[in-house]
Amino acid sequence: MIDARGLVLGYDGHIVLRDVELLLRPHELVAIVGPNGSGKSTLLRALAGSLAPQHGSVTVDGALVSGLSPAERARRVALVAAEEHADGDVRVRDAVAMGRLAHRPWWQWNGPPEDEAIVEAALERVDLVPFAERLLDTLSSGERQRVWIATALAQQTPTLLFDEPTSHLDLGGAYATLDILRGLVADGAAIAVVLHDLNLAVASVDRIVLVGDGTVLADGPIDAVFRADLLTRAYGAEITVGRTDNGTMVALPRRRAKVKA
Amino acid sequence: MALTLRRGLSLAALTAFLLVAVAAGVAIGSVNLPLASVLGAFAHPHATGDVAAIVWALRLPRVTIAMLVGAALGVSGSLLQSMLRNGLVDPYLTGGSAGAAFTIAIAIALGVPTPFYAGLAFAAALATTIGVAALARHGRGVSPERLILAGIAVTSLFAGMTTLVIMLSPSASVSLSILSWLGGSLVGHGWSDLGWAAGYAALGFAFAAAVVPALNAIRLGDARAVALGVDLSRTRWLALIASSLLVAAAVSVSGVIGFVGLIVPHLARAICGSDTRWTVPASIPAGAAIVVLADTLARSAAPPIELPIGVLLSLIGVPVFLFIAFRRRRVA
Repeated sequence: MIDARGLVLGYDGHIVLRDVELLLRPHELVAIVGPNGSGKSTLLRALAGSLAPQHGSVTVDGALVSGLSPAERARRVALVAAEEHADGDVRVRDAVAMGRLAHRPWWQWNGPPEDEAIVEAALERVDLVPFAERLLDTLSSGERQRVWIATALAQQTPTLLFDEPTSHLDLGGAYATLDILRGLVADGAAIAVVLHDLNLAVASVDRIVLVGDGTVLADGPIDAVFRADLLTRAYGAEITVGRTDNGTMVALPRRRAKVKA
Repeated sequence: MALTLRRGLSLAALTAFLLVAVAAGVAIGSVNLPLASVLGAFAHPHATGDVAAIVWALRLPRVTIAMLVGAALGVSGSLLQSMLRNGLVDPYLTGGSAGAAFTIAIAIALGVPTPFYAGLAFAAALATTIGVAALARHGRGVSPERLILAGIAVTSLFAGMTTLVIMLSPSASVSLSILSWLGGSLVGHGWSDLGWAAGYAALGFAFAAAVVPALNAIRLGDARAVALGVDLSRTRWLALIASSLLVAAAVSVSGVIGFVGLIVPHLARAICGSDTRWTVPASIPAGAAIVVLADTLARSAAPPIELPIGVLLSLIGVPVFLFIAFRRRRVA
């Protein structure tokens, strides 16, 4: 569980987000959405403790995250950040096993034998067992994304944070990824996920946090956040909200009149 | 399991290669000894006679120092290349060798007695590296970009000043002594030099071993490693301290032997794969074997002249390295 209160976040005197209050509970899948550059990733990093807030506090399971060592943090929160270059010649199984790093003294080269079963279970959960002996640079971007999810699973943390795990994935891959997260939530995990696609969020999550205008504009169930006025304000473009035949909410840009030459 | 077995066999093969190199290093020289007599001398350390004297008093200390230097430079290179995630990094990048070279040049020009060189070189190498690390400090940690920049700048500064000392030196023989130290040589060192250099190197190897798991995680990216619980500042400082101790220990007994710290990590990766838990240990026999062989060649190629090891390594090592680097296939 993560409890963030009165957060002011930014870099080098430049403030990105202010007045952020956010509670992330077990059994909950929360999407953080908002336009580019609105501070979604910044918020996620602050929740994970890898960015110190300028004001306010973040507690993870009751402990101030700023007071935890990197290893203590990694035992409580798993953070899967957006794209970062990884060496291509790392074996999938070895990459996932690195999720166990925080569970042993930092100078120890290998984990206890029990780690193998944990790594195997993480690989199974994301359907990567057939890829376990492959190298990262032989995988597609979707498969690689699953490696990072498996690595986070191997950390065995009660809270998981994902920064755009569905970027570069087609619709099927994106849904499959979110289904994995849904499965984890069903088992009791608390998960926050930054998503780019509003409609993907609607289809998969319990709650939406809308970031825009330098703050959290709305935080609640889908019906409460999916309002044309809120989304239009956040994205700075006219957005209409409707429902499909089966009642699923959708957000779409309003069709514009053709511009005559 | 198959991969682990393959890596284990590769490491065993490298170690076997080192043993062959050591046997060659002890057997070959101004007087060539048959292998049987060398093994006989090994078996009877307290025997007397010419062969025992050559093996135990002359060749073995030298071969052992060569192993230490090679292993130290190899591991140091592996650490820095992993930490900076850059295969172009050489352990001399952090300025240690340049600082030592300048100090020794001054010492030779001032006529400081030879026995002081090892200690002076060690102190200078360590002090220069600490200075470079201080320049590269960024918050709690060390910035890789600043480290590379500061290292290159300080190295250039000392190289320029060393050239100046050579040019202004009072006699040609002084210039020649400085140049021969710069070219790298294991002449004139015995068991006593080995003792204290090995002590500092052992400390360096211990720090290196401690930092291996974190360096391995850095292969996934710095931010990912931090998310997995790696203390990036501690990792970088420890890798730097380990590398500095190893370079200082090596430079103090061998002068500037270039190239080893750059190529050994590449060889270790080509043979055992890029997992740091294998690259770092593999760098020990790989580095040791290369320097032992180079030293053997240096003292037996054109007797009675001893060629500088550094020069020899460049002449032979570069083509071999290029061949291996460009035909190398990816190994896990």
